[in-house]
Amino acid sequence: MTSTPTDVRRSPAPTLVTSRERRKKKPPSLKRARTFYLFVAPWVLGFVGLTVFPLGYAFWLSLTDSDGLSPRTHFVGFDNYLEVFRDPLTLSSLGRTGLFALITVPLSILAGLLLAVMLNQPIRGRGLLRGLIYLPAVVPPVGAALTFRLIFDRDAGAANGILSGLGSNPITWLVDPNVRYVLYALVLWGCGGSMIISLAGLQDIPKELQEAALVDGASYWQSFTRITVPLLSPVILFQVITGIIGSLQSFAPLLLSSGTLSGAGTVPQGNYLYMIHVFAQYFSAARFGYASAMLWLLFGVILLVTLVILKVSARTVFYTVEPEGRR
Amino acid sequence: MNRSYRWALYVVLLAVVLVMLSPIVWLVSTSLKSPAEMASFPPTWWPAHPRLANYSEAVSKVNFVGAAQNSLAIALISTTLTTLSSAWVGFGFARLTAPGKKQLFVILLATMMLPGIVTLVPTYLIFAKLHMVNTYWPWVAWGLGGSAFLIFLFRQFFAGIPRELEEAAIIDGCGYIRIFWRIFLPQSWPVIAASVILSFTHAWGDFVGPAMFLSQDSTTLAVAMASGYVNSQGLPLNNLVAAGAVLYVLPVLLLFLFMQRRFVSGFTTSGIK
Repeated sequence: MTSTPTDVRRSPAPTLVTSRERRKKKPPSLKRARTFYLFVAPWVLGFVGLTVFPLGYAFWLSLTDSDGLSPRTHFVGFDNYLEVFRDPLTLSSLGRTGLFALITVPLSILAGLLLAVMLNQPIRGRGLLRGLIYLPAVVPPVGAALTFRLIFDRDAGAANGILSGLGSNPITWLVDPNVRYVLYALVLWGCGGSMIISLAGLQDIPKELQEAALVDGASYWQSFTRITVPLLSPVILFQVITGIIGSLQSFAPLLLSSGTLSGAGTVPQGNYLYMIHVFAQYFSAARFGYASAMLWLLFGVILLVTLVILKVSARTVFYTVEPEGRR
Repeated sequence: MNRSYRWALYVVLLAVVLVMLSPIVWLVSTSLKSPAEMASFPPTWWPAHPRLANYSEAVSKVNFVGAAQNSLAIALISTTLTTLSSAWVGFGFARLTAPGKKQLFVILLATMMLPGIVTLVPTYLIFAKLHMVNTYWPWVAWGLGGSAFLIFLFRQFFAGIPRELEEAAIIDGCGYIRIFWRIFLPQSWPVIAASVILSFTHAWGDFVGPAMFLSQDSTTLAVAMASGYVNSQGLPLNNLVAAGAVLYVLPVLLLFLFMQRRFVSGFTTSGIK
C-alpha cells in the first residue's frame, strides 16, 4: 500500500492494461452481469414493490385525509403530522412503548446472557437443558399470549391459585394497572431466543483467553467483566438494536386482550402500545391518512434510535474482527 | 469446577426449566378441565377426571379443519417460494458480479433492520386495490420476494463452495441457471432445512398478516384461536381455548424437536462427503 488510489489513476500504464482487458473480456462479463441481474431480480422487484412502494404510498396517504373508502380525498399537507402532537393517545402510547422497550429489552438480554453463561459450562445434559429453556421461544405468539391469558385469569388462573395458597387475595391481572406485568412476563418467557444468540457468541470466544486470565490471578467475575463481556459486545449490540426495533413494533397486547384487529381500541390502557393505536386508527376509526402519518413517524423514530445506538456504541463495542471482515 | 458449585448450577438451571415449562403444563391441564372445574376457586392444579371431550369440542366449535387447511396452505406457499427465491438470489450474490452489486448487497443487509410491520398496512391498502385481499396472492408475492436473512444465509453457504466446481461445469457447456439447479442447490440442503423450518414456523405463527389479508371465514388457525372460542354472551370458553391452543402449538413444537435431530444428521452427512 505505497501508492494511493489517485496515484494509480494518474499513471497511464495500468489504465491501458485495464481498458485492454475490459475490451477483451467485455462479451462474457456483460453476459455475466445480465445473469447476475436475472438472479437478484426477484429480491429487487420484491424490495421495490413490497417495501419502497408501500412506504411511498403511506407517505402520500399521510398527506391526505383518506379514509380508504370515499373516492375523494383531500391533500392536507402536514396536518396529520401536527395532529400527532394534539392527539394525547399518540404521544402517551409512544412513551409507553418506549418504557416497554426500556424495561423488557435489557431484562431479556441479561436473562439470556446469564442462562447462556451457565449453559456454556461443561455439565451433563446441557443440550437437553438448552432445548427445554429455548422451547418457549418457538411457541407461536398467539399460543403464548393465550397461555398467559389462562395463567393470569382472575378465577381459574394459576397465578391467583398460588396467591390464594399463600393466603393472599386474588388479583385482577388482565386489567389496569396490573396488565403491564403480564406483558413483561410474556416477553421474558421468550428469553431463550436471546440465550441462543449469546450462546453462539460465547462459543466463538477462545477459551485460552479466560483461562490465561484465571492463571494470572483474576477472579471469575473479573474474567467475565473484562474478557467475556467486551468480546461479546457486538452480539449484545445486535440484540439491543433488533430488540428495540421489535418492541417498538410490538402488537402482543392485542393478543393478550381482544385478539382481533378491530378490537384494538379495547386494549387496557397499561398495554396500549403505539402499534395498538395505529391499528385502532386504521381498522376502528378508518383514519387512513392519520394512521399512515403515525407509521411514518414510527419508521423515523426507529431509524433515529438505530443511528443513535450505533453512534453511541461505536466506542464501547469491541470487535476482534472488523465488521467489514478485515483483520 | 468444584462440586458444590456444580450442584448450585444444576439447582438454578432446573428451577429455570421448571418456570419455563410450567405455562405449557398449565395449558395442557386447563385443556382437560370440565366447565365445573373451570368455575371453582381456588383452581384445581390437575383435573380429577381429564375431559378429552374438550378437544373434539374445540375442533367443532370453530372451523378448525378449514382454518388448519388455510394455515397449512399459507405455510407451504411461503416456505416453498421463500426458500427457492432466497436460494436463487443468494446464488446471484455469491457467484456472479455486475456493476451495482455492492450497493445492492448493502441495501439487502439494511432491510434486515427495517421494521416489517410498518410496510404491512400500506401493503394491505395496495393489495386491496388490486383485489388480492382474501386470496393467497399476497403470500405468493412475499414468498417470491425472498427473505433478506435467508438470502444472506444462502449467500454465505454458496460463497464457500470452491470455484473449480463452477468452472468445470462451464467448460462442459453448462449455463448458470443449470449450475444453480443441478450443482449448487442440491448441495445446500442443510441451509434449505434451516430455511424451511424458519419460514414454516414464521408463517404458521403469523397473526397480523392473516388477520388483515383474509376474511374471518377463510382465515388461519392463528386468527381463529385468538378470537373464536366464545360463548353466546361473548365470554371466552377457556378450557376450549386451551385445547385449541394445544392443537395449534403442537405442530411447531414437533417440528422443533424433529429439527434438532435433523440438523445434527445434516451436519454429519455433509462432513462425510
